[in-house]
Amino acid sequence: MFLIRRGLALSLPGFLLILLLGAVPLTVILVWSFWTWDPATYWIKPNLSLDAYAAIGDAGRWSVIVGSFGKAFLAALLCLLVGYPSALAIHFVASPRWSFVLMAAFTIPFFTSYLIRAFSWRLVLGRTGMVNNFLMQIGLIDEPLDWLLFSDFAVMVGLIASYLPFVIFPLLLSLRKVEPNFLAASQDLGAGFLRTLFTIIIPLTKPGIFAGFLFVFIMAAGSSTEVQMLGGAGAPMISIMINDVMRVVNFPLAFAISAVVIVALFTIVLAGNRVFGLTKMFEDFK
Amino acid sequence: MTIGFENRTVRVVIGFLTAAALVVVYLPPLYLVGVSFNPALQPALPSLGDISVKWYVELANERGLLAALRESLLIATATTVISVSVALAAALAYLELGKLRNAWFLLVLMPMFVPGLIQGLALSVILNRWQVVPFWGTVAMGHLLWALPFAFTVILTSMVSVRRSYLLAAADLGASWWQRVTQIILPLIIPGIVGGVIFSFLLSLNEFARSSYLVGRQNTLPLVLFGKMNSGASPTIYALSGLILMASVLAVALFMYLSARRKRA
Repeated sequence: MFLIRRGLALSLPGFLLILLLGAVPLTVILVWSFWTWDPATYWIKPNLSLDAYAAIGDAGRWSVIVGSFGKAFLAALLCLLVGYPSALAIHFVASPRWSFVLMAAFTIPFFTSYLIRAFSWRLVLGRTGMVNNFLMQIGLIDEPLDWLLFSDFAVMVGLIASYLPFVIFPLLLSLRKVEPNFLAASQDLGAGFLRTLFTIIIPLTKPGIFAGFLFVFIMAAGSSTEVQMLGGAGAPMISIMINDVMRVVNFPLAFAISAVVIVALFTIVLAGNRVFGLTKMFEDFK
Repeated sequence: MTIGFENRTVRVVIGFLTAAALVVVYLPPLYLVGVSFNPALQPALPSLGDISVKWYVELANERGLLAALRESLLIATATTVISVSVALAAALAYLELGKLRNAWFLLVLMPMFVPGLIQGLALSVILNRWQVVPFWGTVAMGHLLWALPFAFTVILTSMVSVRRSYLLAAADLGASWWQRVTQIILPLIIPGIVGGVIFSFLLSLNEFARSSYLVGRQNTLPLVLFGKMNSGASPTIYALSGLILMASVLAVALFMYLSARRKRA
């Protein structure tokens, strides 16, 4: 009744779409990143070279790439810390009605504008924003805090707020697979809540923890909206760097940076899938 | 299902942390919506007596914004139609693919992991080489790859309600594949398709990073918004942002409510 042949035919439109709009352009810029910039035509010529990759070493570009991955790592870690209790609340604590409401509450922001949400942080964190006003009103500070906005701090806050839903859902999927009997047994044997949490629940939800971490890490590493809206001038991220390089139409360099980032991200996704079986999380289907 | 979670302290701490997470996510946009009802020029919450829809009314005069909105709606519609059709086929393919299904799932999800800016840049360079002049269609091409994984996942999730036994019984009774799809699968996954439509539309409407290298002469709404946000423009920007936020929240909330009711019925 199920036919591979039919499956392949049905997968053709999606396959072509991903191939033509995604894989082909990315492969082409990967190849072109080894070409050389030709000032005569404002374009590139097929002289194979590693110049563009060498140029990544100039002007501290490596440190921007590594720094971006570092920030993404931190954002993912913080999202997990903030998101884990919420996932526990949805799965274990809330009544069915509340659990639905909470799930909806964490889903909805996912589909609202990242740009507008990042922008709204400006109103909250700015010099005359909500936080500074409040702190001055209660007399904790006399001058508005400057580091709240256009800083790494603001970018981090924006990233966490934007990508928090990405950790909740994988966590919920893996919490659903935790056998309630294990928890009952642990309680019967006299383990307290924290002990049960750290020796049973957290180890059993490793795939969800990893998947959530991965989602946020990848989204944050490539983010441009939050960085452009909230970041300071001092510490750019990958997306800003690519925009800057493109402004002076240095195509090979922009391609080389993109290639490094894409290869790094895909390696992480595929390795993660191998170790933690991301696809397995959806295997409840039949 | 409250084993170990009946403890009062545990419940209070978890509840508090969840509330804190929700505050981080919701406080700034809510604050922005509040600010948008303040008739004053300075961004602050209005006092209760001052609430006004002044900036919302002035939106009607913002020709540039309205042109950008039209462009974005056109792009979102095109993106939605194509991404949902392709995602539906991809989800039906998932049912048939047997051992290949995990590879297929991963492949369809892959575009989600490509940073939007890089995806847009790569696509624009190729299209430029092929002499394609950027227009709304090129932006839609960029958005398609972003919407497809989400539409696919939503439709696939709704396929849980299609039991294998239904399909086997129908096949036993002589139903062709086409009959099984149109008479069993499609009616059962309508919530997934509606979800795919709403999500694709909103993801495209709000997409910023994938658009910047692909737009033609007419900018999309997020690009115009971005420009205005950075040039300290008039408070109409708050009104428009508020409007988009409220419309998106309503659309998604309504969808979730209706699909939950359907499940209970």
